[in-house]
Amino acid sequence: MLLEVKNLNAGYGFLQILRDVSLTVDEGEYVALVGPNGAGKSTTLRTIAGLLRPMSGGIQFKGESINGLPGNKVARKGIAYVSEAMNLFVNMTVQENLFMGAYRLTDKRLIRERLAFVYNLFPRLVERKNQLAGTMSGGERKMLAIGRGLMSNPQLLLVDEPSFGLAPQLTETVFERLGALNKQGMTIMLVEQNVTKTLAVTDRGYVLENGRIELQGRSADLACDEHVRKVFLGV
Amino acid sequence: MWKIEPLRILNWTKSAAGISILLSVAAAVFATLSRGPHVLVNTVVMGGMLALVSMGLALVFGVMNIPMFAHGEYFMIGTLVAYYVFTPINAYVGTHPDSVLNALGPLITIVAAAGVGALAGVASEVLVFSQLRKRSRENWVMNSFLLTVGLSVVLINGHQLFFGADFKGIVRFWGGAPFSILDVFISRDRAMAFFLATVVVMVFWVFMTYTRTGRAIRAVSQDETGALMVGIGLNAILMLTMAISCALAAVAGASLLFMFPSYPSVGLEPLYMAWFVVIIAGLGNVLGAVVGAFIVSLLKVLTVEYIGSGWDFVVPSVLIIIILVFKPSGLFGTEVRGVLDK
Repeated sequence: MLLEVKNLNAGYGFLQILRDVSLTVDEGEYVALVGPNGAGKSTTLRTIAGLLRPMSGGIQFKGESINGLPGNKVARKGIAYVSEAMNLFVNMTVQENLFMGAYRLTDKRLIRERLAFVYNLFPRLVERKNQLAGTMSGGERKMLAIGRGLMSNPQLLLVDEPSFGLAPQLTETVFERLGALNKQGMTIMLVEQNVTKTLAVTDRGYVLENGRIELQGRSADLACDEHVRKVFLGV
Repeated sequence: MWKIEPLRILNWTKSAAGISILLSVAAAVFATLSRGPHVLVNTVVMGGMLALVSMGLALVFGVMNIPMFAHGEYFMIGTLVAYYVFTPINAYVGTHPDSVLNALGPLITIVAAAGVGALAGVASEVLVFSQLRKRSRENWVMNSFLLTVGLSVVLINGHQLFFGADFKGIVRFWGGAPFSILDVFISRDRAMAFFLATVVVMVFWVFMTYTRTGRAIRAVSQDETGALMVGIGLNAILMLTMAISCALAAVAGASLLFMFPSYPSVGLEPLYMAWFVVIIAGLGNVLGAVVGAFIVSLLKVLTVEYIGSGWDFVVPSVLIIIILVFKPSGLFGTEVRGVLDK
């Protein structure tokens, strides 16, 4: 078990969002977390990434508790979080952003290897490597955000809404790249609003509603589920 | 394909930053020709040191979001340390004229001031700002501003209580005849002050641009959450930022001890000047602050030269009001901001 979340309760101030969320991610898996707006999908990822302190519950990564650790320590354990807002360093070049992504690594050779890997995955970034991140288009920034996450050689990649604000064709590209990454052995947990698409590409899924896990199972089964079809697909 | 645009290189002259830089250079050349080269020398020496103080101010605002009004007190700490380190060295050199300390004394003094300045910065971060940060980040800018004002009062009165209110100055750092360049005599102290400022600005720039830690500082200033996400520990970076910025102010204070003797409120003037600079350059714009420092310093020297020495705060203040009314983001608000990051 790579990641194990048990009875997680979390929220902002007095406002509790997550109620007893439990989920697991195995090594090499491609797991989806879907749900309507405001269900707590991003909150779940933010809490796992250490950007939000859980109220109670447990988070274990590689058998070690990372519950309540600050974001920088979680990142150093090998969890890369690609946020919806991307949080790029807008006044740095693409290449500098990527080097920042490798901040936790000290081995120069590994950093160069990661850089080659990311450039290979997103050839567009090579063309743009000396451009300031803030001056790039939405799709390119999304690629950079994922690339920066991958630079740290993570064991687990948490991706929040990669299709948000992207043109359909670019969304397609990003999904395809994420799929290719998973084929190469990267464990990915994906949060998405685009339920059909997400359940079509992932192995397993969790459905989050009002801060609770309502359903879980193989993505293919979820896609056929009566409840899911009624709530998300409108059929 | 190959459209020739001969005027494109000159485009930057049309921006507010370009115009103000050109105007300043023109004014400096004119004043130098009409009143003599001391105008230029004064501008450059003052400007270099002001650049150190303003860079620290811009850095603290850019990275920590603190509008620092106690920054002059780190300048004051620099003068104080320099006085108490250099006076015994000077006395020793007086009786042992051949000692190595003759040449190294001033450098030891300035390094000591930088060290104590950095320690004072760390102490302020640990005892004051991190305490506020732990408690609440609501209304951060206003609350931290009030804290810096309080800190300033405490430090000024601390100086008065423990070291007295009298002037503690030295005659000079480096003895010997002044340098003569093109029939202009520049005292060794002034030349060294400018040289030191140049070296420190360059080292600082290289540190911020090319080192892992310097990049981490810039990362925190651009996106705190993003910095956390890549594994940068915020507390260490914030403490380091404070240490660097206070050390810069202390170095400026120590190097200018021959001009400004140490007394409790010696830091107020550099503080106001540095705020002028930072407003002109745009808050948080570290490299813009270097350019701005020379513009403000020139403005001050010209005012003293042409209008009278009582007016040297009035003219820059009026200019600041005009800039804030017409271009609130600062002269370099869009053009030069982020030069450090290019």
